[in-house]
Parts: sequence; structure tokens; C-alpha cells
Amino acid sequence: MSSSGAKAQSSAAKLSLPVELLPSEVARIFTHIHPVLLLSAYYARFHSLVADPVHTLLSGILPLAITQILYAVLCLPATGSDKRPTLKKKLNAPKKVSSDNNLVSKVFTVFFALVLSLLSTPVLAAVQVLFGAPITTHLLHTLLGSAHIALLAAFPLIYVHGSDSAKWREIASAYSPADEIFGGSVGCLVGAWLGAVPIPLDWDREWQKWPVTIVTGAYMGYVAGKLIGGRLLKGKRIEFD
Amino acid sequence: MSRLSTLALIVANALIPIAILIFASGFFPYKPFLSGLAEYEALDYGSVPEAPFDKVIFMVVDALRSDFVYSNVSGFDFTQSLITNGAAVPFTAHATSPTITMPRVKAVTTGSIPSFLDVILNFAESDTTSSLASQDTWLAQMKAKKSGNMIMYGDDTWLKLFPGFFDRADGTSSFFVSDFTEVDNNVTRHIPDELKNNDWNTMIMHYLGLDHIGHKTGPRGPNMIPKQREMDGIVRQIFESMEAEKHLQSTLLVLCGDHGMNDAGNHGGSAPGETSPALVFISPKLKPISQGFEVPAPYQEDFQYYRVVEQSDVVPTLGALLGFPAPRNNLGAFIPDFLPLWNKSTDKVQILLRNARQIVTIITAAFPSFGGEGPSEHCATLGASIDELSCEWRSINKGLDGLNDGKQSEEWLVAITKWLKRAQELMSSTASNYDIPKLVAGQVASIFALALALFAASPMVLKSFGNSLPILVITLSYGIMMFASSYVEEEQHFWYWTTSAWLMLLLLKCNRKKTISSGFLAISTVVILIVTRIARRWNQTGQKFAGEPDIGRTFLSEHRNLLWTLVVSTYLWNLQSLASRGFPRFQKLVAVMFATGLASIAITFKLAFTNEDSPELLVGVAKMMADNEIGVSLVMRARTVFVSIAICLLYSLGTGLGQRGPRNNTMKTIHDLLTLFLITQSRATNIPLLLLFEIQSYLLNNLDLTLIEAATTSLLLQYMSFFAFGGSNAISSIDLSSAYNGVSGYNVVAVGILTFISNWCGPVFWASAINLILLRLRMRGEKRVLFQYIAVHTMFVACSLLFVMVACTMLRTHLFIWTVFSPKYLYSMAWSLGQHLLINIGLTSLLHWLGGKYMA
Repeated sequence: MSSSGAKAQSSAAKLSLPVELLPSEVARIFTHIHPVLLLSAYYARFHSLVADPVHTLLSGILPLAITQILYAVLCLPATGSDKRPTLKKKLNAPKKVSSDNNLVSKVFTVFFALVLSLLSTPVLAAVQVLFGAPITTHLLHTLLGSAHIALLAAFPLIYVHGSDSAKWREIASAYSPADEIFGGSVGCLVGAWLGAVPIPLDWDREWQKWPVTIVTGAYMGYVAGKLIGGRLLKGKRIEFD
Repeated sequence: MSRLSTLALIVANALIPIAILIFASGFFPYKPFLSGLAEYEALDYGSVPEAPFDKVIFMVVDALRSDFVYSNVSGFDFTQSLITNGAAVPFTAHATSPTITMPRVKAVTTGSIPSFLDVILNFAESDTTSSLASQDTWLAQMKAKKSGNMIMYGDDTWLKLFPGFFDRADGTSSFFVSDFTEVDNNVTRHIPDELKNNDWNTMIMHYLGLDHIGHKTGPRGPNMIPKQREMDGIVRQIFESMEAEKHLQSTLLVLCGDHGMNDAGNHGGSAPGETSPALVFISPKLKPISQGFEVPAPYQEDFQYYRVVEQSDVVPTLGALLGFPAPRNNLGAFIPDFLPLWNKSTDKVQILLRNARQIVTIITAAFPSFGGEGPSEHCATLGASIDELSCEWRSINKGLDGLNDGKQSEEWLVAITKWLKRAQELMSSTASNYDIPKLVAGQVASIFALALALFAASPMVLKSFGNSLPILVITLSYGIMMFASSYVEEEQHFWYWTTSAWLMLLLLKCNRKKTISSGFLAISTVVILIVTRIARRWNQTGQKFAGEPDIGRTFLSEHRNLLWTLVVSTYLWNLQSLASRGFPRFQKLVAVMFATGLASIAITFKLAFTNEDSPELLVGVAKMMADNEIGVSLVMRARTVFVSIAICLLYSLGTGLGQRGPRNNTMKTIHDLLTLFLITQSRATNIPLLLLFEIQSYLLNNLDLTLIEAATTSLLLQYMSFFAFGGSNAISSIDLSSAYNGVSGYNVVAVGILTFISNWCGPVFWASAINLILLRLRMRGEKRVLFQYIAVHTMFVACSLLFVMVACTMLRTHLFIWTVFSPKYLYSMAWSLGQHLLINIGLTSLLHWLGGKYMA
């Protein structure tokens, strides 16, 4: 027992820090607009989602992608940009980074994160199937739902952390420190899981059909997780013991 | 401290059965019945009305749903022609839930509504309280007339219910539902002789074939119409004899089903199809009173063809038609369609009045206030339904004075017929029967059990609260779920949903601990989750989607080669495990031979069993092997398997003591032998599930679980596997196919144990599999492993029991109380008494103690 405790301590030294938002006024404002935007768009499309899930989910991908890209570009530090010293920089030399260079790298990161999110969609769909999604029917529903989850949960993570393998190992064991991004992702997945609860009830409502409740859970969970991770529990880690 | 908590845990577990019994005795009240045979009491209306019939042939066709006889897709052409010309009077006889044979036979012979307790007794049929030998039935009345012998052919349920009643009998039992013909031929072959015999006054026939076809292929199966034609042919044979033979001219033929079936061909619940059997009274003598009915009848979605009567109404009707008083516990009302058989209006009055007076004695027994002084007008204003009934009864008695032959008498007959129906409704509604103090006492007992279990578990919970949180949340949310009928019906979703998430969490935790290589962990994660997902889909269960396609019943019965490959793989997995560890004293080759011998005995039994039980599954080599089997009876085969397993077990127990120590494999061998026993007790299509669970348990073994994780995993996988095997909270999903393995006579204990094992196969497997993990924890020096494990389980059981009891009490007037919540209570009983006390405490303690002996 004592040896593993020592190991935990030594690895604690290398643990990452929570991600801070970009130190701009726009970032601070848009990070509040972002969840409102997501939820109101979701609310507006809800009836259409119940009536025709495939079409609604498909047509929702582009607006969602734009919202997430805006959020990422305006609020989040792209991967590769030095994250930790931002605070100091702000104090000492606020305009040191070349803005041209910054823009190119941001565009590239957005593209990179979009492609990886797209690739993670079938993986997320497979996870949904393992958790009980229908496999012989509704495949398109599940895939499109997964695309939304990928844009919500995976895209910001990839945009911020890129291919930082140590960070991803932390994320894979859910041991990343809480921040807006990680909190949103965990919230999104937990919300999608909780979304399955009303399905077996015998109310025979249209909205109980696959995948309406799952997508609803994912959106609500994402927003809740983002708020909790970014404000209430920032920097805390999920402890199972 | 530790002594105190041990004591608390023991008391908690002792309280669990006490709470269950107290609650059950209040919830399923044992209905007191009036003993003794009914006799005609003296009335002022002259002699007892003359009975139009003297003999009765009671032909029960199991699961004869109303539309099988009356609709336009029916094989009953001859019966339909009789309905047209008036020689047959058709009804739909409403059967109350539970729609299984024994309670239905009770209803149709005593006229009472059997209590829900009879469901349990149906599975323990030799219980004397369920025998009708001492009760007043129409059979007892016919026997008391001494005008002839009683004979019975068909389902031996009747022989169990009426021991020593019949002068000639040939019982058939429904061991194998694949038997469509033999069970019926055993009945039919007696008919020609008996129709010539003049020595009987009651002949009962109970055909099982149609029910078997329903269970196997559903109500629209290809064998259904031919079977209906066969049954119709028997009606024709009897009817023609009734016309031709002089001694049969006053014989009444009653053709009826004991219950119906749902669209999947099963029964037990209260779907319209299950509760609507046909009921036809047939005799040439009925022609004068019946103008005939339109057949085939127009389609009825709810199966309510023609007049709907209660099944118990058969009893007083037979009484009037055959001339005996209604049995004392009868709640049936005479069917008024037959009143025109009597010409004198005093006879009609007398028949209904006797029926009503007999029911009044039962009402008075239940409600002593009934029949006292009170108003006899404006009854509807009285509020309480019993007062209303009492008021109407006074009004009917008043009307009796100065009754004449005219219109007044007709009105009185209508009034009393209505009153009979209302009395019947009131007495069969169970709302008044709950014993609330007992219900409360049961709940208080389970609150104490829960408190003590929490006390016992508290040190562990407080020490690692984060680790215990999942099980606490699961326990609480499971309890809350008991209030929603659809979650009770579809309980499997809860376990599937939590199990997937829990396994994911377990693997995340393992990823943090970094005790095993990440590559192996990744593979384990994927495999464990895939296996869980496949198991979830193996048997569609619950209510709503129970008939949907699934792997076990649909896919594998179409891909039978794959099925048998998987079945053989399961046996081989077991074989290699036994061979590599099971017989350490012998050389490898000899050990392999022993294990192979054991596996072949088990697999040949399974083939022979499947050949009888579901021959449609056999194909190719499996079919060849099954066909070539020499004629050793199945009972012998099953006994050989059980005895061989027992010998190996004793041998392992004995030799294992030779080399004690942590590397002793005896416990693993015991687990393998138990698994082989479980395989033997599973249906062929479910056997591959055990292979899946073996894979899962192998991978979980490597995850280095902590005690509380092991306890949580054990609980989740036990429930999950129960539903994966096709279990649910409905009585109709109980699988009796393996209940008689190796049992020749009737042995309640053996059949009970085998039924439990074959239905709780998955949970028993996981109890044993997780015990291996517990033993490893104990060997590593963890303290009080067994105690903490049992404490977690006791906490869950006590809490779920409490919530089920509260739900049953609060929802006792709910529409679904008898169809959803009462069966759930019965299942909770089985989980708490069987799985928790016997398996999770009894078996686990035994294995744990043995493990301590061998591995210390």
C-alpha cells in the first residue's frame, strides 16, 4: 500500500493544470454566450428533432460546428500555444505573439480538431452501442447523435490538447483537473448516459424514441458540466476512492 | 465492535425472512374457506327443481382461447355448426390472473377466486392446502350423488388436486412442451370405451396438446388449426354418441379452456388473450332454449365473444343443470341463459335464490355487518358498497313476498341476477382483504433489517465513501424505481444500464491504478463491454418487447450449427479448465480422460433432453447423435450427470486437502463443477451465455478488484445475468423445462431446487465466480472479507425489500397491483430467500470456509 502511495505522489508532481481561457474580454463574454446559444438553438429545434431526428441532427451539425469553432477560437488556447505562462505574459508583455502566426496556427488547429472529431464519431457510436444503443436499426440516428456528441465533447478537448499524450492518458482515466473543457466533455457523456432513463417508461411519447433523450442529455450535460467544471469545481479532480 | 456488528448482521438477515412472511400473510391473505359439503336447505318453494341432465362430460382444452372456437379462422367447424343450430351455447369465460392451470382448475371446480398464493402452491403442488380433497367442489357434489363413477383422463393436475377422487384415471404430465400428440392420444384412446360405459356420471378430460403448440409456435403456428380440428372431431364423436346412445341422452358436454394465451403463445398474466378462454355448453337438449348464434362471430379485438361470464359461474350453473347445491365457497352466479330450461317460475326463483343465499353466507363470513337491519330503498345513496349490497339484498327479499307468475316475477329475476353479479364483483375485488397491520409490521421489520445492515456495513462505507458511493446510489435508485410499473416490468433495463456504466467505471479505475499493462487493459475493456452487450441482447425479456427477435430464441434457432458450436465450446471451456486443474493426483492424460468422460456424459444428456424438449433445434451432427442414442431414459441420464458431478466434487474435496496452500486449485475446480451443473440446468440456447460469463469472470479476475468493488460487481452481474437468461418480473417467464431433470416421481424439494437453479442460473454462477476473487483478497490478508461482502448484499436486499413492500402497500388499489406489483413481490421473495440467504450467504460462506481450509 505504501509503495503505491509513493507512486501516486511522484506522479502527482507531473500532473497537468486546468486550462485557462484566453485572457481577452471577448473570451470572457463569449464563454457565457456559448451555453445560452447552444441551449436556445437546441430548444428551438426540439420539436423538429422529435418529428424527424435524422434530418434535424444532420442539419444541426454545421451550426453546431460553427458555434464550437467560434467558442474554441475566441475563448480557448489552441494546442501548441504556450498555456501556462499566459498570465505572466499578460502582465509583462501583452502583445508579444505575432497575430499572423497565431491565426494560421489557429486555423490549422481548428481543421485538425474537426477532422479528429469526425474520426471519433464512429468510435462514440460504437461506445453507444456497447452501452445499449440499437445495433440492427437506427444506425444513422446513433451516428448523427454521436457527431453532435463529438463536436460537443471531443472537439474542444482536441483543439486545446492536440496530441499531448500525457494529457490524453489523464483524460482516459478521467483524472484531468476540472476546467470548462474537461467538465463539459464529462458532463456531455454522463448526460447522454442519463438520457436513457426515461426511455422504458410506458408514457408512449414521441420524444421517448431513440435518440432524442440521449441528445438532450448530451446538450444539457455539456452545459452543466462546463459550468461546474469551469466555475464550481475548477482544478479539482474526480476521485473514485 | 466487530462482535456487535457481526451480531447486527446476523439479526438483520434473520429479520429478512420474518419481514417477508409477515408482509406476505397480510398481502396475500389466506382466504378462510367454509368446510363441509353444501346441502339443499329447505325453502318455501316446493321441491328442488328437477335437473335436466344427469351426466357431465367436462372437456378442458388447455389454453383454448375464445377466438380459437368462435372466429372465422378456427378448426372447430362441427362445434360452430352446433352453435348455429342451438345445440351449443357459447360464452367467453373470464379467467382472472394468474392464468395458469392449477388456479384456473380450482376456480372452475370450487367456484371461488383462488388467492394469489396459489401461484406459489402451483409450483409446490403436493402441498396439502392446495389439494381440493377436503373442499366443496362440484366434483365432490357429483361424487356425493353416488349416481355413478368419476373418471378422469388428461393433465395430472386434476389427480393432484383431487387425490383418491377418481374411480378410473389416466394422468398425463406436461414434461415436454414439444409433445403435441402423445399427451392427447393418451386421453382420446379412452373415449370410445367410456362412451359405451354406463357406470359413470362425471367424465373429465384435459387436453394439453393445444397449450404445448401455443408455447412452441404461438397461436398462429402451423399445427394450431389441425389440433383444433382434432379437438373438434372429439366433440363430434361425443355429440354423435349423445344422440345415438340412450344412456347418454341426458348428458351435458362442457367444452372449455382453462385460460387463453397471448400473442406469443404464453400465459400467466392478464392480457386480454390470456384471460379469455372459450366456454361452450353442448347437448341436443339445449336446442329448445337456444335460437342459435351467429358463427363465425364478428372479430373481437379483446377476445370477448358472445356473453362474457366468470369462470366460476360454471359451478352454480352445473349445479342447477345436474341437480346439486352450489358448493359452499362458490362465488359464481348462475348463467341466466339457461333459466328457460325450467318452465315453472317458482323453479327459476328457487335456483337464483339458492345461489344468492349461498353467496350471502360467504359475504356474512367476511362482513359480519351484512344483512342486519337497515333501509331497503334508495340503495345507491349509501356510499359504502357493502352497505349498498346489503340494502339491495333486503329489497330483493322484500320483493319475494307475494311474487306471482307474471311480469313482476320477471323483474325480480332480473334484479337478483344483477345482484348476484354485484356480489360477485365485490367479493372478488381484493381491496378489502389486505391486513394493514401486518403490512406495516412487515415494513417495520424490514426497516430494522435495513438499519442493522447499515450499521454492519457502516465502518466499511465510512472508510471508503467514494468507493461505496455507486452501490449506495444503485440501492437507492433501485428502490425508488419500484414505484413505477413500467420500470418493474422492464427491470432489465436498469441493470443493463448500470452494469455497463459500472464496468466502464471499474476499467477507468483500473487504468488509474496501473497494476496491469495498458494493452491488456484495453483489450479487457473492449471484450468485457462487448460480452455484456451480447448478453443483454441474448433473450428479449420484460413485457413490451418480450416477443421481439433476439439472439438466443430467434437468431440461434435459425443458425443451429452456430448454436451447437457455441454450446460445445462452452462444454470444452469447462473441460479444459477441469482437465488442467481438476485431478492433480493423476497424470495429465488420465485427468484429461476423466474430464472428457464427465463432459461427454453431460453433453449427451443435453442432446437427449433437447431432442425431447425442443427437437427443432437439433441439426447435423447433433441431430445424428441424438437420434442414435440408445434408449436410456432421460431421468437416468440426468441422474448419471448429477452423480458424476457429485463424485468428482467429493474426490476434489478429499484430495484437495493433500497440498494446502495458496496455489491449491480445489476452489477453482469446485467452481468448474458447479458451472457444469448450471450448464446442465440451462436450456440449450442459454448455454453459450455461461461461456460469455466465463470469459467475463476470467477478465475481471485480472482487474485486481477491491472488496467493495467485488461486492458491487457481484450484485450487478447477478441481476444482469438473471435478466440475460430471460428472467423477468412476470410469472409467465418462469422456465420449468429443467425443473424435472432426474426426478421421476413428485418431489417438492428436488423440483423446487432445480427450478430455482435453472431460473437463477446466472446469479448462482456469479456468486461462485466472485467468491474466487474474495478468496484471493482474503489470502492477501484482507480482514473480514466475507462479513463485509455479506453486509453489502444484506444492505441492498433489505433496502429493496422495504421499497417493494412500501410500493405494494401504497399502490394496493392500483390497476396493476395483481399483474405487476404482486408478481414483483413474489420475485423479491425468491431473490431474498433463495438468492440472498441460500446462495449469497449460504453457498458463499460454505465456499469461503472451504477456501480457507484449502488455501491457508
